[in-house]
Amino acid sequence: MNRFVIFTKTIRDQRRGIFAWGISIAALVVVMALMWPTVRDMPDLKRLLSNYPEALRKIFKIDTYGTPAGYLNAELFSLILPAVFLVFSIGRGARLIAGEEEDHTLDVLLCAAPSRSRVAFEKAAALVVTVGALGGILFMTMLLSSWAIDMRLAIGDIARGTIAVTALSIEFGLLALAVGAISGRRSTAAGISTLIAAAAFVLYLLGQLITAFEPWRGLSPFTQALDHGPLGPEWSIGTIAMCACGAAVFAAALPRFTRRDIRT
Amino acid sequence: MTAAITTVGLSKQFGSTIALDHLDLAVPTGSVFGFLGPNGAGKTTTIRMLMGLARPSTGYATVLGLDATRDRDEVHRRVGYLPGDFTAYADLTGGEYLDYLGRLRADADPRRREELVDRLELDVSRTIRTLSRGNRQKVGLVQAFMHNPDLLVLDEPTSGLDPLMQRQFREIASAARAAGSTVFLSSHVLGEVEEIADTVAIVKEGRLVVVDALEHLKERARRHIELTFRDPPPASTFDSIPGVRDVTVLDHTIRLVIEGSMEAVFRAAAPLGVENVVADHAPLDEILIGYYESDSS
Repeated sequence: MNRFVIFTKTIRDQRRGIFAWGISIAALVVVMALMWPTVRDMPDLKRLLSNYPEALRKIFKIDTYGTPAGYLNAELFSLILPAVFLVFSIGRGARLIAGEEEDHTLDVLLCAAPSRSRVAFEKAAALVVTVGALGGILFMTMLLSSWAIDMRLAIGDIARGTIAVTALSIEFGLLALAVGAISGRRSTAAGISTLIAAAAFVLYLLGQLITAFEPWRGLSPFTQALDHGPLGPEWSIGTIAMCACGAAVFAAALPRFTRRDIRT
Repeated sequence: MTAAITTVGLSKQFGSTIALDHLDLAVPTGSVFGFLGPNGAGKTTTIRMLMGLARPSTGYATVLGLDATRDRDEVHRRVGYLPGDFTAYADLTGGEYLDYLGRLRADADPRRREELVDRLELDVSRTIRTLSRGNRQKVGLVQAFMHNPDLLVLDEPTSGLDPLMQRQFREIASAARAAGSTVFLSSHVLGEVEEIADTVAIVKEGRLVVVDALEHLKERARRHIELTFRDPPPASTFDSIPGVRDVTVLDHTIRLVIEGSMEAVFRAAAPLGVENVVADHAPLDEILIGYYESDSS
């Protein structure tokens, strides 16, 4: 019995995607890192930053902008990197089952595979590994940039930041995979996942700005990922919460996927 | 002998549309069974329920003695399936695709695969994207047959194949039956199954119209005949022959429709100096119409 055949093929299918997205992410990081010495040496940087509106100072953690970690958190890890990772992850997640169903390649696969849940499991594992690979590229680029530009970021801080962004996107990628497995429609899977991600991001923002929302902000995966950094020394159980939540959503979708009619 | 496929009151409803209405079928083990009907008759719906890709609304199907829904995984192991809209991964070569399915199926037989590839003259080194429709269909046929399944469920297997390859397919299917497999194939054209099918079922609008041995069905088949004579013939000669209808005369030519044996027509035509005869294959719809009319009478 050959194991992980579907997993292997799915990873193989993602090779080019990982390469292209990896290069883009690496370029983004390198460009922002190269600008750090100029920003650091700006006269009156502190005064300039203190003129920022209160809301932006909170959201982008402007108070730490003068440090390498604070600078990268504000410029990359608070918005752009999570967004890029989510687009990649949700896109892949939506495609893995629903995309095959829409392309009509799923019928033969399901009839040749040992079981439907096996197909779903191997696809989910491949998604986690694919997004993880992108996270690995981010980690390596951060490490090299930090060393080359003398930013002196701790390896642990970089790890905390990249793992947070990776776990966040794995969670929403698994959500997209789950919705695709239930609905069989790629657009539904991507649409619902994007909508929920946007709502979670809004909750994260409101939680920081409006006191009434503060008790609820912990529910947002963005809070779990981006609070205290994400580049920084403070590890939270947020990472585990994100992974567990993604796995739970996927597990909840399985019974429906194994029982429903496959679209023609 | 137990049946390879049994359906009992098998029905499928999509919203308010009844795609299949209480289908009762028994497909004998070791036979070639033609499942015929016009497009939209419920053939694909039936096949998808047999393969566990859709669940019956009511009723049930057993495949090789297994419940098609509950024992789906075991059914898949023992059945070769070709979907009606067979699609393979466009970016793989035929060989890579067959390798992939072969690795998924522990029991794929490499020698059998080679034999099928040779017989169908399939170039497995080409990317599936670059293959013609007929060649893609060949990939689908190879994957269905390559693990020597006990039962083959083939939805429109010859679609896209040229006549030579259709013949190859018929030989492959006949050989599979000779080796003990059962072949269940759907088609909307009788001509595609009549050379190999032992038994034929006809469905229309989700209902079973008839199940019969092909021999019996052919006897009842309607044919269009065109007879050309030396001199303009009298139409009345043919009007009175039992089974003949729709007689039209045009100059030296008579066109008519006949159901059953042609013997009486030729007896009548011979003394009138018949020069040419054209008889076409009865299209499936003609047989269906024949059955519907006899049902209502």
